[in-house]
Amino acid sequence: MNSISLHNVLPEVFVHRPDNSSDLWLQDVTFERGHLYLIEAASGTGKSSLCAYLTGYRRDYRGTISFDGRDIRKIHTYEWTGVRRRSLSLMFQELRLFSELTAWENVQIKNQLTRHKTDAELAAWFEALGIAEKRDVRIGQMSFGQQQRVALIRSLCQSFDFLLADEPVSHLDQDNSQAMGEVLMQEARRQGAGVIVTSIGHHIDLPYERVFRL
Amino acid sequence: MKLLWKLLRQHISIGQLAGFFLANLLGMLIVLLSLQFYEDVVPAFSGEDGVMKNTYLILSKRIAAVSAFGGEAQTFSEEDVRDLRNQSFVRKVGAFTASQYQVYASLSMGGVGMGTDMFFESVPDDFVDVKWSGQGGQANQTQLLAGGEVPIILPRTYLALYNFGFAQTKNLPKLSEGIISMIQMDILLRGEGGREVRMKGRVVGFSTRLNTVLVPESFMRTANAELAPNATVQPTRLIVEVGNPADDAIVAYVQERGYELEDNSLDAGRATYFLKITATVVLAVGLLISILSFYILMLSVFLLVQKNAQKLQTLLLIGYSRARVALPYQLLTAGLNAGVLLFSIALLFWIRGWYMQRLWEMFPALSEGSVNRTLLLGLALCCFVSFMNALAIRRKISSIARPR
Repeated sequence: MNSISLHNVLPEVFVHRPDNSSDLWLQDVTFERGHLYLIEAASGTGKSSLCAYLTGYRRDYRGTISFDGRDIRKIHTYEWTGVRRRSLSLMFQELRLFSELTAWENVQIKNQLTRHKTDAELAAWFEALGIAEKRDVRIGQMSFGQQQRVALIRSLCQSFDFLLADEPVSHLDQDNSQAMGEVLMQEARRQGAGVIVTSIGHHIDLPYERVFRL
Repeated sequence: MKLLWKLLRQHISIGQLAGFFLANLLGMLIVLLSLQFYEDVVPAFSGEDGVMKNTYLILSKRIAAVSAFGGEAQTFSEEDVRDLRNQSFVRKVGAFTASQYQVYASLSMGGVGMGTDMFFESVPDDFVDVKWSGQGGQANQTQLLAGGEVPIILPRTYLALYNFGFAQTKNLPKLSEGIISMIQMDILLRGEGGREVRMKGRVVGFSTRLNTVLVPESFMRTANAELAPNATVQPTRLIVEVGNPADDAIVAYVQERGYELEDNSLDAGRATYFLKITATVVLAVGLLISILSFYILMLSVFLLVQKNAQKLQTLLLIGYSRARVALPYQLLTAGLNAGVLLFSIALLFWIRGWYMQRLWEMFPALSEGSVNRTLLLGLALCCFVSFMNALAIRRKISSIARPR
């Protein structure tokens, strides 16, 4: 997948809102593979909704979203499996980690499916993000900031054309967000992928090529 | 798969699954047992006689008070037989041939002799299941009449009458079938013109269904030709092989023609018919319980899927296919169903062992019915239920995967 385009898109819940002026909603916007984007917005302006639309688990919007020109409303349920496994990776704002599993198992459950990274590479990421000693700790017993790093690693163990990171560093300090930015960009560049980061203010310091305000 | 199972087994309710297991076990056991019991017991009605098959009926003309003295024909004409042959329920028709000569049988044991006037009848050999032992079936009938031994089949009721009626009150020894078959009788045949033939006779079998003294057809033909060359023989009774003794058309035909059916010859057919109905009802109850238990399992699994909906959705969003996340639950239900099948088969054999013992006490010669059909039915039911489970789980998972 080389491009994600939004044409006149507006979440259904915003239809009756008096002011819908935004860099994204009701605009023509295209995200290109290989580029780095930041979407900045206040809470409740539809960032997470956009991520849900792009990954195909919500359709409550008006307008057209297309991948390489194909309307994503026409993508069948079984095709989404392939899109999510090979083309589009999402790091959820609410992380969606499995609290019954350890940090390592949460990453493995994805990597066993994609067989994208070796155990050594995954261990190196745990090390780089400062959570190596938390590998075998159950997710439920980790802080949200630690969980964010596990979620990032999980989102990186697959091939992707675009990576959506929904508020990836909301609970991290400057040093840790920097480390996360490095790991994320290193993998994205290696794959030649596009990266779309959302933020409500505190964001990873990266050379964004375009910034959208919702 | 291990991690997936670790994740998805959360919220499994052992109580619910145990409830399903027991309910389905009960249903499956009833289904299998009713079929197996039917398979095992049917031979008791169809094969117990050992002489006649249960699909044979015996027809005679009704003896009315007037005709008994009037001389109206009590015999079946050739046309009667032809008409009967054309009925759809009839497979084969054979005539009873009566002896046209006098028969006197005597017995001497230890110097005490007893004798009686009697008669012989015969039916075509292929209507009789046992082989005629002795010389009756052999070719040289002339030699036979000149002092050979004729095999005889007696009604079993004669033996019962002697053992439980006569011998009981007279303090005489009771006779088993084996002992009787060792006794040789002297037979005197007296035909036209006072011609006499002396020969031996031996009882070779007992029939519960043929109320007559039966000799081989070939012997009868020779004896009638030799001893009563001028008599015309018309049958008074017919033996009919029918496809289904429970066929309503038989009773209708018999009533319409004014024939009489030897009643108990239909009993086995009726018993089989009622057994079939009972087995079917029990089978239906078993199936109903199975269906209800299927719903218990489905509700339990749906509840499980609902409770794990968030996890399942996350798995789908990180790239798992619907088939892959449905698989653990499908394997769970298939495993439970297979467990139920194996357990119910084990229980079936255990219960079967118990009731076969009782049946053998009643019918020592009873042969075991085949278990193949029962096992096949169990396997088919198990596969069908597992397939339906798998389909329902897949649909449930798909409903979670569908974009909102």
